[in-house]
Formats: sequence, C-alpha cells, structure tokens
Amino acid sequence: MILAAEHVKKTYHLGRVRVPVLHDASISVAAGEWVAIVGSSGSGKSTLLHLLGGLDRADADSGPILFGGEDLRRFDAGRENRYRNRDVGFVFQFYHLLPELTVLENAMLPALVGLSRLRWMSERSALRKRTADLLATCGLSHRLGHRPAELSGGERQRVAIARALINEPKILLADEPTGNLDVHTGGGILDLLGQRHAEGLTVVMVTHDVSVAARAQRQVCIADGRVD
Amino acid sequence: MYAPLLANRYLTSRIIPFIAVAAVALCVALVIVVVSVMSGFLEMVRSSGKTLTGDVVVSRPITGIPYYEELLKEIEALPEAAAASPIVETFGLLQMPYGTGDGGKQIEMVEVWGIEPSSLDRVADYASKLYWRKPAGEPGDESAKEAIASLALDNPLRDPMFHRESAGMSMKDDRGEDGLVLGIEISPFNQRSRDGSYRTIDPRTGAQSADYFLPNAGEVTLTLVPVSERGSLGGEKRRKFSVVNEFQSGLYQVDANRILAPLGAVQAMLRLDSAPIVSTTEFGEDGRPKVIGESPRRATTIVVRAEPGVSALALRDAVKIAYQAFSSRLAKDPTRFTKPPLPDGVNIATWEERLADFIGPVEKERELMRTLFSIVYLVCAGLVLAIFWAIVQEKTRDIGILRAIGASRTGVLWIFLRYGLLIGIAGSLLGVLIAWAVVARINDIHGMLGSPAPLWLKVGSWLAVAGALAMAVRGVRRASALHTVLWSFLSIALILISVVLLLHHGFLVWDPSVYYFSRIPSSLDLVTAATTALGGVIFSVVGASIPAARAADTDPVKSLRYD
Repeated sequence: MILAAEHVKKTYHLGRVRVPVLHDASISVAAGEWVAIVGSSGSGKSTLLHLLGGLDRADADSGPILFGGEDLRRFDAGRENRYRNRDVGFVFQFYHLLPELTVLENAMLPALVGLSRLRWMSERSALRKRTADLLATCGLSHRLGHRPAELSGGERQRVAIARALINEPKILLADEPTGNLDVHTGGGILDLLGQRHAEGLTVVMVTHDVSVAARAQRQVCIADGRVD
Repeated sequence: MYAPLLANRYLTSRIIPFIAVAAVALCVALVIVVVSVMSGFLEMVRSSGKTLTGDVVVSRPITGIPYYEELLKEIEALPEAAAASPIVETFGLLQMPYGTGDGGKQIEMVEVWGIEPSSLDRVADYASKLYWRKPAGEPGDESAKEAIASLALDNPLRDPMFHRESAGMSMKDDRGEDGLVLGIEISPFNQRSRDGSYRTIDPRTGAQSADYFLPNAGEVTLTLVPVSERGSLGGEKRRKFSVVNEFQSGLYQVDANRILAPLGAVQAMLRLDSAPIVSTTEFGEDGRPKVIGESPRRATTIVVRAEPGVSALALRDAVKIAYQAFSSRLAKDPTRFTKPPLPDGVNIATWEERLADFIGPVEKERELMRTLFSIVYLVCAGLVLAIFWAIVQEKTRDIGILRAIGASRTGVLWIFLRYGLLIGIAGSLLGVLIAWAVVARINDIHGMLGSPAPLWLKVGSWLAVAGALAMAVRGVRRASALHTVLWSFLSIALILISVVLLLHHGFLVWDPSVYYFSRIPSSLDLVTAATTALGGVIFSVVGASIPAARAADTDPVKSLRYD
C-alpha cells in the first residue's frame, strides 16, 4: 500500500458545537491504483482527501494515516511541507490558480517552492522547459503566457493538473476535478487523468458523480463519515 | 524562490500597493520637509547668533581685563586659536540726528561695542557684516544703491559704496574722526522690504529718501557712563560721532540694539584707557602727586576664533589654561601695579554656551516638531497595516493554495514581509525625492503663492471645471454611479481651486518684511532624510508583519473553503 488511513476520525468545532465528520474511516490505496471516493455532499469525502493529502490533521484519538509506511501524524512541519510539495499533488474543484501569475508560472509554482535562489539560478531554464513540456502534454502550449482569467474552465483545470504533476508526485489527489465543468470538458480532464494513471501515477479522486467515478479502477463509498 | 516572484507580482499588478506606496511617500516627505526647514532655521539662528562673537568669548564685564594685549598674543599663540580680538562692551544712549516731532531728538538705548575692526574681521568676518558695501549682486547692495541715488550730484557721498565699506573698516569719517557703525534696525527709517533688503524712507511721505539715511544724516551723540571698580557711577560722557556705515548680523536683537564704535574711543569714554598711577604719599617738585606707574588699558571681552577643525570646546579649554597662566604670571610680577582678575572672575565660554538661552528653545522646538511629526510614522505603519490586512484577507485563498503545495509558514510570512519591505523602500525613496523637490524649490513655491495667479492658469482651471462637469453629466446619462461620483468629486475640487485662484492676489506666508530671515531654508537635511526613509521602511515592515503573521497561520483547508 502506498497510502492508507486506518480508523481515522475527524471532528470540526464550530464554536462550542462539535461536528463529527469522519467516524472510524479506513481506506487503503495501492501504488498505481486509481481510486474514486464517492459520496453525497457532506459525507466527509473531501475531509478524508484533505487528511490523506496532509492538508488537515485528524483527531488526537484517530488511527494513523500512512504514506509508504510513514505516519503523517508524526510529520514535523518541514516533512509535512515536503509531503505536500513532493509526495502528493492536489487538484481542486475550483482550480485555485493564482491570478497574478501566468499559466507557466502557476504550473511551476510547486517546483519554485522547493527551490533555493541558487538552484533557481542554475535550473531556471531546465525548469521552464520542463514545465512548458508538461503544459504541452496537457494541450496548453499556446497558453503559456496567459493569465488564468483569460482561460476557459477546462484549460484552468488542465493548468491545475500540470501544477499538481510538476514535481512528479507519487500520488495525485483530485477533489471533484470535473465538478465545475461541463460533461464534454470534464471528459477531457478525466482522459488526461487516465493518461497519467496509465503512465503509473496513483490517483485518488473524490466525486459525487457516479459516471465520473466509473472511470476509476475502484470505487470507495463514504456515507455519514464512514467508508463502506 | 516563489516569495520574490509573488511579492513582485502582487506589488505590480494591483492598485492597492500603489496607494500604500503613495501613503508612505507622503508621510516620509512630510517629515523630511518639516524637519529640513526647521533644521535650516536652527542653522540660520545658530550662524546668526555666532555673528561677531567668534568661537570662544573671554569676558570680564565693567572693569575689564588689564594687559589684554599680552593675553591676546598668548591666546593667538595657541595652536587651537586662529585669531583673537578685544572688545569693550557696555550700554549707552544714542541720540539720533532727527527729532521726534515734539521738539526733542530721538534717543535709543543701545548696546555699545568698542571694537578693533581689523582683528574682529579676522575673528568674526566683520567686513562681511557691513551692510552698505560695493554692489556684489546681493539684494541689500542694490537697495543701498537706490538709497544713495537720490543724493545731490555734488555730494561727496554720491558714490558711497566703496567709501562706506572702507569707512566701516577704518571707523573714520570723511574728516578722519571716529565714526560709528550702527545695527541696521536701529534707525526706524530703515525699512525692510519684501525681498529682505533695506531702504531709507521719509516718515512723512513713506517714500524712499536719502535724507534719513543715517550715514548721510549728520551726527549722532553717544552717551556712556563709566563705572569704577567699586561699582560707583562716574559722570556721563557724551560725544558726537558720524555714522560711517550700518551692519547686519542676521539676528534681529543684535541689529536692533547694538552699535559698534572704535575701541579706543569707548575705552576713553569709560575710563578703561591707560592712565598714570600716582602716589598718595609722594609728591614731585611741583607739588603734584608723583607718578609711580601706569594703569593699563582694559578690554571687557576677548573673542577668539578657532583654527579649522578645532572644536569650540577644545579651544575654550585651551584658552582657560592660557588665561590661568597669564593671570598667574602677572600676579607674581612685582612691576605690575594692576593685576588681572583671577580665573574664577573671568567667564570663558563657547559661543553656544553664551547663547544657550537663545539657541536652546529653538533646538527644543525642532526636536518637538520632529517628535510630533514622527507620529506620522505610526500613521504610515497603520496605513500599511490596514492595506495589508485587506490584501491578506483578499489573498486568503492564494495563501491556502501555497500552503497546499508545500509552502512553509516562514515562506508565506516572508512573501508579505518582503511585500511590505518593497512598499517601504519604494515609498521612502519616492518620499525623499518629493521632499528634495519641495525643499529645493520651496522659495519658488513660496514666491508663486505670493504672486497673483496668471491669467492662463485661471482660464485653464475653469476650462478644466467645465470638462470635469461634462464628464460627470456623461456619467449620469450612462447611469454609471462610479463614473458620476468620481467626476463629481473632481469637479468640486477643481471649482474650489479655480475660485481660490480667482480670489488669490498673492499671499506670502513667510513675509521677509515681517520675519527676520529673507529666505526659507532650502537645503535637505540629509541625516533626517536618511533616518526618515529608514523609519518609513521599518514601519512599513512593522505594519506588514501582523497581517503577514496572520497569513502564515492561515489553515489551508479553511482558506480553500473560502470559495
């Protein structure tokens, strides 16, 4: 297993009110697998994905979340940042691109996060070329200098996917990647994910759309904070 | 490596940072302009206060210092001293040559300085303080020429520029008699004009007139009262003098109260000149008391100029030691009947120490202004804080994205601190430039305010009003609220400016005919500029630090839920 969550619990606190979201949720993902987490709105599927991606912390009495045998709960701040930066790549429903940056800059941002000024000076050209090549595989070679506001929804999501893949992560975590797109454009995005999966990438995708989930190898249902 | 990219992009792709830069620039410029002008005034006051006093002053009022010539030589032999000059200081009455309208003649109480012009020139640039001099392109010289121009053609003072200058130096009138040099403000008929120059006016008509020009208006009478060593007053001494020139020290109190007279003349009137000492027990063949010695001449004050690079304090200490040696030597000399005062009885002080009461309040005023205006720094920090708070609020989602792709808290913190630093640096540099432009041109700006607005400007401003109103109406027709509001505000502002221009007939805030200094100081205080710019940068970073820390603490999940 490359990624596993065992008996994970997560409770949000809205003022004095405790809102339990995940109760004893467990999931395991094998390397190279494409898993779809399916569930209705509010079922806790995005929360589970955030916990798997190290964006959020499980409750203190929660079971472990293991990445390659390492427990995410024991990560210090530096290791947690490296995990988010290098080991996993995130794709969000609303793309979440930085509006001030160009397509090229958005896509190479995670690589910049891990680069010192010295390495940037020496690897600048290579990184730009690598990013441009990656964007070309996503069908965006003609959009490198454009700002996100100048792109369509599908193009923005392709940039987001390129950004998630720039550091060649072991796992791609996608939260409703087609949720904001029409069927045709969403299909293109799923094709792109499928292509990457075929090249060996592990994909964990959250969706409420059964037809989208059908593109995955395995579907995991989540309801009321429990994985069925 | 993402921090500089994002900080630079945030800075250049939005309007808010430019507002922040403008706010910092205005704050910095305001502080620099105010403190520079205040520092300039303080420097003017200091240089004016130093006028005619040199760096160190040795003084023994009333009875004076005997054998002062020897003391002068010993002081001038000091490596710290460049020159020294004797002065006799006292007070007297000066009777003017013209009347008061009720049968009498105008009398002024004056501070009298008996001086040696040549040595005082070496100590305190006396010649440069003479007001009526050969025209050298200065405003005062031009008005002097005008004042003299109305003299009769056969008047020997027809070309007095050179004459008055040399007479001021020799302190001798045309007949070779002793003459006085008066402070330029002593004569009530010397009227100061807007450009800071003086002209002599006829009090009856208010028109320029040479009849009341003191160096041409006859003799003045000086009355002094000698005071004995025991403090008793002697009979008053009156003497007529010609006025050979007038001087301008740059300090109103001096120019309105002080007159300069030849040292020997004042010594004689105050009985501080040399005199024989006679025995009270021995008598000569003619039955008169036998002369057994001579009481030396005395000077009440010695002014000393420091060598270049020597501080006034260092010179003061050297002069104190020299005076102690002088006093000690003469005290042991049995041939001297008159002994100089003991060191404790002589005041030896730097010019700043003597003028502490005068300079101190001005210095404190400047520091008060600096402190008060430094509150602007807090305004600057508050503005940056408010702007950054808004930026962080707006950028919450971006921060969440950055945290989600592995950016550290420190990295996010640094983005916004760097952003604040860039705003601080840009704002401070711009502020220094604005301040430099304003200070360098402050007299031109002031002159422009003092003159009526030109016709083209008045017409142009009303045309601009018409244009702005037309745009506002266009905004109303297009139902664009923002367009309408912006152009309406601009129209109101332009109307106010146009009305002010129409009613403005010239208003000098700093009228040289009222205030003493003819020009507003126009040199940038570099130390203030540097410290203020640094303050602007620091307070911008301080203002950015709280929102930056808030950004660093942003929970990526919460911020990504922002949508």
